[in-house]
Amino acid sequence: MAKIKRKGQTGQAKNYMTRTQAVKKLQISLPDFRKLCIWKGIYPREPRNKKKVSKSASASTTFYYTKDIQYLQHEPLLQKFRDQKVLEKKISRALGRGDVGDAARLERNAARPDQTGKPRYTLNHVIRERYPTFIDAIRDLDDCLSMLFLFANLPSTTAVPAKMIARCERLCLEFQHYLITSHSLRKSFLSIKGIYYQANIQGEDVLWLVPYKFNQRVVGDIDFRIMGTFVEFYMTLLSFVNYRLYTTIGLKYPPKFDEAKDNQSAELAALTLEGAGLTTTAEEPKATIANGEEHGPDPKVQAEVNKLVKKLRFEDDAEKPDAEMAEGGDDGEEKPTDGIDKFEPAAPGGDVLPQPTYSGNDPSKLFSNCVFYLSRETPRQSLEFILRAFGCKRIGWDSVLGEGAFTTDESDPSITHQIVDRPIIQAATAEEGDGEDNQTARKLGPNQRYPGRIYVQPQWVWDSINNEELQAPDLYAPGAELPPHFSPFVKATQGQYDPTIPLEEQQTEGEALDAELADAQDEAESGEESEVENDMDVASDNDEEDGDEEEGEDEEEEEEEDEEDEEEEAALQRQRELEAELEGKAVKNKKVDPKVKAKLDKKKALERQKKEEAEALERAKGMLSKKKRVRYEQMEYSNNKKSGEAEKLRAKRRKLEKEKKSKA
Amino acid sequence: MKAKLVEKKRKSRDLESDSESDDELGNGLFDGVLSASEDEEDYIPSDQIEEDESESEGSEGSDDEADGDDDDILSDDIPSDIDGETDMDKLRRDAEELEITEPFVDPKPKDEDTEGRNYRIEKDANGGERYVYEEIDPVYDSDDSDAQGPANTIGDIPLTFYDSYPHIGYDINGKKIMRPASGDALQSLLDSIEVPKGWTGLTDINTGNPLNLTDEELELVRRVQMGLVPDGLHDPHPDTVEWFTSKQETMPLSAAPEPKRRFLPSKNEAKQVMKLVRAIREGRILPYKPPEERQREEEEKEEVHFDLWQDEEPSAPNPMHIPAPKLPPPGYEMSYNPPEEYLPSKEEREQWEKTDPEEREKDFLPQKFNSLRKVPAWGTLVKERFERCMDLYLAPRVRKNRLNIDPNSLLPKLPSPAELKPFPTVVQTIFRGHEGTVRSVAIDPTGVALATGGSDGTVRVWELLTGRQVWSVKLSSEDPVYTVRWRPTKDAFILAASAGEDIFLMVPTHSSVTPTLEKASREVLAAGFGYAANGNTPAVAPGKEPAGKWSRPGTRLEDEGVLVKITVRSTVKVINWHRKGDHLATTSPEGQRSSVAIHTLSKHLTQIPFRKLHGIAQTAAFHPSKPIFFVATMRTIRCYDLQKLELVKVVQPGAKWISSIDIHPGGDNLIVGSYDRRLLWHDLDLSNRPYKTMRFHPKAIRAVRFHRGGFPLFADASDDGSLQIFHGKVPNDQLENPTIVPVKQLKGHKVVNQVGVVDIDWHPREPWLVSAGADGTARLWM
Repeated sequence: MAKIKRKGQTGQAKNYMTRTQAVKKLQISLPDFRKLCIWKGIYPREPRNKKKVSKSASASTTFYYTKDIQYLQHEPLLQKFRDQKVLEKKISRALGRGDVGDAARLERNAARPDQTGKPRYTLNHVIRERYPTFIDAIRDLDDCLSMLFLFANLPSTTAVPAKMIARCERLCLEFQHYLITSHSLRKSFLSIKGIYYQANIQGEDVLWLVPYKFNQRVVGDIDFRIMGTFVEFYMTLLSFVNYRLYTTIGLKYPPKFDEAKDNQSAELAALTLEGAGLTTTAEEPKATIANGEEHGPDPKVQAEVNKLVKKLRFEDDAEKPDAEMAEGGDDGEEKPTDGIDKFEPAAPGGDVLPQPTYSGNDPSKLFSNCVFYLSRETPRQSLEFILRAFGCKRIGWDSVLGEGAFTTDESDPSITHQIVDRPIIQAATAEEGDGEDNQTARKLGPNQRYPGRIYVQPQWVWDSINNEELQAPDLYAPGAELPPHFSPFVKATQGQYDPTIPLEEQQTEGEALDAELADAQDEAESGEESEVENDMDVASDNDEEDGDEEEGEDEEEEEEEDEEDEEEEAALQRQRELEAELEGKAVKNKKVDPKVKAKLDKKKALERQKKEEAEALERAKGMLSKKKRVRYEQMEYSNNKKSGEAEKLRAKRRKLEKEKKSKA
Repeated sequence: MKAKLVEKKRKSRDLESDSESDDELGNGLFDGVLSASEDEEDYIPSDQIEEDESESEGSEGSDDEADGDDDDILSDDIPSDIDGETDMDKLRRDAEELEITEPFVDPKPKDEDTEGRNYRIEKDANGGERYVYEEIDPVYDSDDSDAQGPANTIGDIPLTFYDSYPHIGYDINGKKIMRPASGDALQSLLDSIEVPKGWTGLTDINTGNPLNLTDEELELVRRVQMGLVPDGLHDPHPDTVEWFTSKQETMPLSAAPEPKRRFLPSKNEAKQVMKLVRAIREGRILPYKPPEERQREEEEKEEVHFDLWQDEEPSAPNPMHIPAPKLPPPGYEMSYNPPEEYLPSKEEREQWEKTDPEEREKDFLPQKFNSLRKVPAWGTLVKERFERCMDLYLAPRVRKNRLNIDPNSLLPKLPSPAELKPFPTVVQTIFRGHEGTVRSVAIDPTGVALATGGSDGTVRVWELLTGRQVWSVKLSSEDPVYTVRWRPTKDAFILAASAGEDIFLMVPTHSSVTPTLEKASREVLAAGFGYAANGNTPAVAPGKEPAGKWSRPGTRLEDEGVLVKITVRSTVKVINWHRKGDHLATTSPEGQRSSVAIHTLSKHLTQIPFRKLHGIAQTAAFHPSKPIFFVATMRTIRCYDLQKLELVKVVQPGAKWISSIDIHPGGDNLIVGSYDRRLLWHDLDLSNRPYKTMRFHPKAIRAVRFHRGGFPLFADASDDGSLQIFHGKVPNDQLENPTIVPVKQLKGHKVVNQVGVVDIDWHPREPWLVSAGADGTARLWM
């Protein structure tokens, strides 16, 4: 007799495990299991057939791979969890006995990351397992950064200990410092949710979201234990990533942290970067320039140093910070990591290849010649970070914004740009007429301006870095209506609406025709009263511009009608001609504006073409197999939806433009 | 000896009593005392007393009395005696003793008081003095030794109640017991000064006398009060006596020598020590440090940094691992200052607010702020991040292949219909005349005339191009004409039509039919009669109905041109001619065994080729060039070799209910139309399964037909009222697949009672198509 097969012993059922089974197998509590899953990156799977997989009668919802759970069984953290559990038991027993001293002693041994912000265990091995190479870690940095930046801005509560927040903040600052020194920030975007940043680290694009500096509201049922578990992992990850990043650009990690400065909300300036061998502060060059001693190094000494450095490099090709870094001055350009090598032909005759560049402009030079002053209403943290990352060395701000400014004196003559975000006071504009003119606005008290510097709104900075060139400041002058702020992350796709290019370049032929017709109609209406009947219904069609969707649906019907109309019209025309011939009169043609007529004809031709295409499509669709047809229809549905949205946006824009035109 | 002692005592007592009686004769107070003193000796056993009595006979009489008294006393209970012994009695006794001693000292006064005595002295028989006492009247309250003096009967009440009275209670007789004389003031003073031994300051409850306790009693009370053992002799803490060691043993218990292990270091201890050593070495045991210092150190330890990826080596990613999808980057509409067209209109805003938060396509509405300083914090940022976290660890990840291609690339590249011309596109002629459905159409081999058969039971012949009806005949009044088919040769002009169970063969005469042709036709039809007359008909088993009965249809029809009638067993629905025109196959689906019949025109012979059919026969057809016969049942098509008389092939189109089939003029391909809306192309050489399946019709397909005049066309007719024209080119090369391209959909027929187009036929030479519709028209498409 064949062996009896039991349910759940073979096939798919063997590969999957429900969560309850997994927890039982690992002999840990559900919260511990959750932690383990989060850290080890184990997630549930969706079996192809749930019924085949589930071993119980009731429908289970969460399935894990059995192999995943087996892999968790060998996790050293599991032992730590168990130890912790034993310890907790001991403490509770001691407390039950009334043995407070013993309980306190045991309590001291207990790891309470939720209170102290630091656990007894380390997650190093987990990180190494999950990210076998550094680039893997970089690839997965999006969520990590978003989470840590959010936690750095959270208020400390019982669920979120202050130490954790402080650590998050510090790690974030360290990371920002890396981006500043390596000039790897690429894009940034002011969204309604916060500020998005995109950096390019070792060829990987990392995108993260930083909330605006406000107290975050905690709404809804949010389990901070889960968030805390993630943060714990991310903190460890980012500290290792930071270490690696710092060491690759020849900096010492961790950077020196000045607590006093940090307490005065110096933020970025609280950290002092040091070279791996030599000590140099990031602020030093800034400080020297701030004093106005723009001393270049003595040319002789410089030459000597250069020679020495070259020699050193030959001897030891490990990246060492240049000697001149300590001297300050022009260190940014000479960093080996920053520069782009130029490939020049050593011998004539070879093909000329395009030079390696990552963009037309060097991001480290965008603001390098500018000195900024931030008014107190501007977001200092984000502006400072962006300006620094794009080469600005000297940034001053109002003293209420915190420590670390190059100058707090607004009248400093070296300032070239001032970022303001306050409205023009009415009286001033009334008198001046034009608030954008710096020269005139300067004279007034409340809107006092210093001559010789450019006043812009903060958006100017963002638009400049996204477009990789300084934007015209007059568009961003204080009080001016800002141009729309575009997301730099959207890649233009065919058929999608793109607000950055004019409408004419992206609208479909039909839409353009409709629009022109509508225009012509309007003109005609304003001019003449009499209208051709046929045109009337076309016009009414066009009036329904907003309800374009419906039009698409019963397109076919309309087309048919149109065709019939056409035939009838032709017949009528012939009839008329015949009658005229009989009577010997000239043909009475109805008055039709020739332009409109041409357009109408064009439209009709377009519709006919459309109809033919639809017919061909129908024929081709009939030849598809059922599977392919279903797939085709799905694609068509989603494409139609997308194009419908784009069409809607185009229609809106057309309307807006028209309104603007009529106003003007 | 003993007896003598008693005697002595007795004597002395006698003496005493003498003295007593002498002393206080009338003093009743001392009665008790006497008795009490006697009592002491009353414990002498009675026999001894008797002995005494016998010995002392002289005092017998009084002794007897005394004996009687004694007996009483003996019978009396002793406790009462003791109780009754009050202080007063004691005092009295003391006094008596004093008095008793008196007679010894001075016996004389006794004698002097003889007159007051209560006895008389007589001479006894011996001459001795004999005291004769007066008889005592033993009244109730007479002095008896029983009454223990004046016992106080007041019961258990304090004596203080009687403080204001001269008495202190009542005796058993209800007489007042007078308060004993308490000493005068001086006496009491003296008493107070000189505390007598055993003085307690308490008063006896019963007697009212001061209660004195002896030293022993006092000691006892003290010990009880102290909670000690009352017995003073008991020692609660005796010295321990060392039981074993108190004595020195001189001999050893065992003579075994000391074991070696007592002189070796303990291994277990060494183990324990090593454990500690190891723990210290490994740093598990640390020297004590104050907690603050320890905490500081721990904080420093946290700052350990190293390059985790120092020796990284890229490994192939686990194929089962699906990395978490990244969040999509923000679009234009998320800008704090978006282009205005992204801002929602009022309706859109309302719509968004109305929908459930979980069903919203976007979790935000675009907003516009004209200045950066006006942008507030995003309210649900923490929640969104939390949801992302939940997704990361709780959402099952499934890899879905999203085809990011142009959907049109899925479509097959069809040649444009313009290249495939000619094919019918428009209605040329509409043939009206039939009442009810036109069931069948057929164009004659010359391509001039069109024959139609309708539900009204008529067969009509029309001029194809003009649409003029040239000939008509009513074959049946009840049954519809299901099918009309021309004989496929040009040498004769013969039409076959079926109505009910009858098949009619006719020669429709009209202007275009030349007399010679007509004559030839009539001859072809008439030839069979001669054959039948010759008696060549195969013998039909007697009693068995012949498969078909060939006859003349009657004069009315013969005048019209209908020349032969074949009657079969059940209603004929389909007729198909053999290419040579001598045979025709009819199919009658209800006919069961005889549903397929082959009729031979030249012999007027009807044969039923199958004894048994698999399923209900739908249609039957001849191969255009080979002697192969196709029979389509509902599900399958069977091909039989007519020469070898065997089954060649079973074609399975996979349709549920085949409606019609047609064989390509080349003979290798087959099209099948089915009531389940499919049109199937079979390559007979390739497979039993269809080569292509086409679903263009939303309703059943009724008829399919290949063009037989050289154009690579075929068409189908459907109940949705439309016809589809396909370009179906079969290449000469056997290896190439046929190309099938739909070229045109013809619409025009109206759907009546859910029946659209019923039958179609191609023109023999031109790319023209004729269709028969349920709307009572036939249409020519060209």
